[in-house]
Amino acid sequence: MTDESTALGHIRISRRAIATITSQATLKTYGVVGLAPKNFLDGLTNVLVNDPAHGIQVGITDGLIDIDIYVIVEYGTRIKSVAASVANAVRYNVEKTLGMPVNAINVHVQGLRISNND
Amino acid sequence: MESIAATSTGRRTHFSRGPIDGQAFKELTAAGLTWLRTNQQVINELNVFPVPDGDTGTNMVLTMQAAWEEIANSKEVHMGRVIHQLAQGALMGARGNSGVILSQLWRGFARALAEQSELNASSFVEGFQQARDTAYRGVVRPVEGTILTVSADMAEAAKEALSKKLDVLEILEQVVTAADQSVQRTPDLLPVLREAGVVDSGGMGLFILFEGMLRYIQGDSLDTPEVSVQPLSALDLEGAMQEVEPGQDYEVIVDFRPGRDLDLTEFYADLEEMGSSIQIGEGDGLYRVHIHVPLEKRYEPIEYAMSLGTISKVRMENLMAQMEELESQHAGRLQLAPVEPGQIAIVAVSPGPGISRVFAGLGAAAIVGGGQTMNPSTQEILAAFENLPTDRVVILPNNKNIIMAAQAAAELTVKRVAVVPSRTVPQGLAAMLCLDAGGDFDAVVDRMHDSMEQVETGEITTATRNVEIDGVQVKEGKIIALHNGRLVLAADAVAEAVMSFLEHAKAGEFELITLFYGEDVPKNKAVEIADLIRRNYPEQEVELQEGGQPHYQFIFSIE
Repeated sequence: MTDESTALGHIRISRRAIATITSQATLKTYGVVGLAPKNFLDGLTNVLVNDPAHGIQVGITDGLIDIDIYVIVEYGTRIKSVAASVANAVRYNVEKTLGMPVNAINVHVQGLRISNND
Repeated sequence: MESIAATSTGRRTHFSRGPIDGQAFKELTAAGLTWLRTNQQVINELNVFPVPDGDTGTNMVLTMQAAWEEIANSKEVHMGRVIHQLAQGALMGARGNSGVILSQLWRGFARALAEQSELNASSFVEGFQQARDTAYRGVVRPVEGTILTVSADMAEAAKEALSKKLDVLEILEQVVTAADQSVQRTPDLLPVLREAGVVDSGGMGLFILFEGMLRYIQGDSLDTPEVSVQPLSALDLEGAMQEVEPGQDYEVIVDFRPGRDLDLTEFYADLEEMGSSIQIGEGDGLYRVHIHVPLEKRYEPIEYAMSLGTISKVRMENLMAQMEELESQHAGRLQLAPVEPGQIAIVAVSPGPGISRVFAGLGAAAIVGGGQTMNPSTQEILAAFENLPTDRVVILPNNKNIIMAAQAAAELTVKRVAVVPSRTVPQGLAAMLCLDAGGDFDAVVDRMHDSMEQVETGEITTATRNVEIDGVQVKEGKIIALHNGRLVLAADAVAEAVMSFLEHAKAGEFELITLFYGEDVPKNKAVEIADLIRRNYPEQEVELQEGGQPHYQFIFSIE
């Protein structure tokens, strides 16, 4: 949970909410063809339920948001550029919707998908 | 790079209308890249997504540049092999989101044309289909109203053109037209574009790339966004002096009648080597050239026109001299303090032009307009300092309603930002006086905090409703005085309110009374009030400044 105090009370935002925003932004980013399980358990749960936090890990320490994203990238794209686009899109969307700064975004390319051999 | 230079002279090119092989396609690529580069800034300005990874125009140029370099020295004539190399280069050099998509489009194109030694209509059209399919495969949730949509519309137009049995060049024309229309439709598909009032930048880039190829084939210039000849009457010479680029000191206007037919593209290209802000007008065979040139070239346009025909009239003006005159008329213009990297920059929120000038004069690096009823947004405050060349910033909100927005802006940046919560303009000014741009950040911020507390603020305004606060009864239309933000008294006239307020604030125990008069107060009236204060407070120094703030007739600073 991140916490923000206002004159009227507190605003609490769950990791899950941040993960959902992250997931949406990531999947719209060009070159990303899927999110990958971050570990065995994540892979297993995603088979059973459609988890918005699938492939995404949100850490909050001292009010700082850290996001880890595990993606599958289309083979034949420039992976570095795609990863940079993911980080930019996620930072923009999270900061815009939450109004809170993101400390770090780590993009882990877990695999490539080959849809065309050439 | 040499062959790009060759295509970018702006002169009519001679693209042979024969079969398009690998070498001819190379020429087209260079033309597309050149035209993209010419329009790079136009595309950059369409960005709505404020991401730091650069601008779409620049990203697409760099991607195409890398693609071009891969084939620049190739002597290969086989179309399929050239475009394969091109796609490879685009992949390696792909920059940004739009660059990655562009590289995928080329990849699809290359796949369709792999076996073709020359470009024919059906393979060309197949290229557009494969380009679209490949591009769409690279994303889970394609966003419509982007370069993807434009590529799909281009593929559709290509298919339709083929069914009409058109040839390659005619197909290209149809595709470019479709791309143009598709770009114009992007705001209908993507709300964020509509809100910003722009078309999609990536789609625009794709259109420009292919338009460049078409322009090259048609012999149009790739240098300047369109050579336009206006009727003579439309050339507004008096208003022409909008902007003077440094070095372009002279405005030269030449009327002449050419001795032979004028090749406009060539004419324009020649003029471009002399200067800028070129305008050409024509009427009844008489041409008028308007151009800005540097001092040493001021006779060149005249000699050049003379070589083309008979001159009927010449006018020359020194723009710099005129500009300086204008500048001195606008002497009140805001002169913000320059900031060096590493220095502390001050961003001040100011309710009026006079107060802005005072802040600027004290060394503020950026001013954001805003006050009581016009609070600036977090974005506006952020934008004011994001581009300053330093990472140490102090924000002075100068109004209690703006402190929150300032703090939010501070959290949205990687820069080191402190908000010194000045609740009034005088507090902000007092803090401003402690600025030591090269000093220790925390120490400076601390000093600002302290000094802010040592100033008394008075505000004189007209009550907008009936109210009772802190035991003071106020009727709408009465003049009220606030002391450090608290309502202290109400009066019938401004002068009465001012004098009662000064008494309340024990002005006699301080040294300096500064008053800023608002935009609704005429200067002579302000001088009268100031004289009244001087008579009643002979021991104190009284200073009168134009504040220009709305709503508040006077803002007082007592210290």
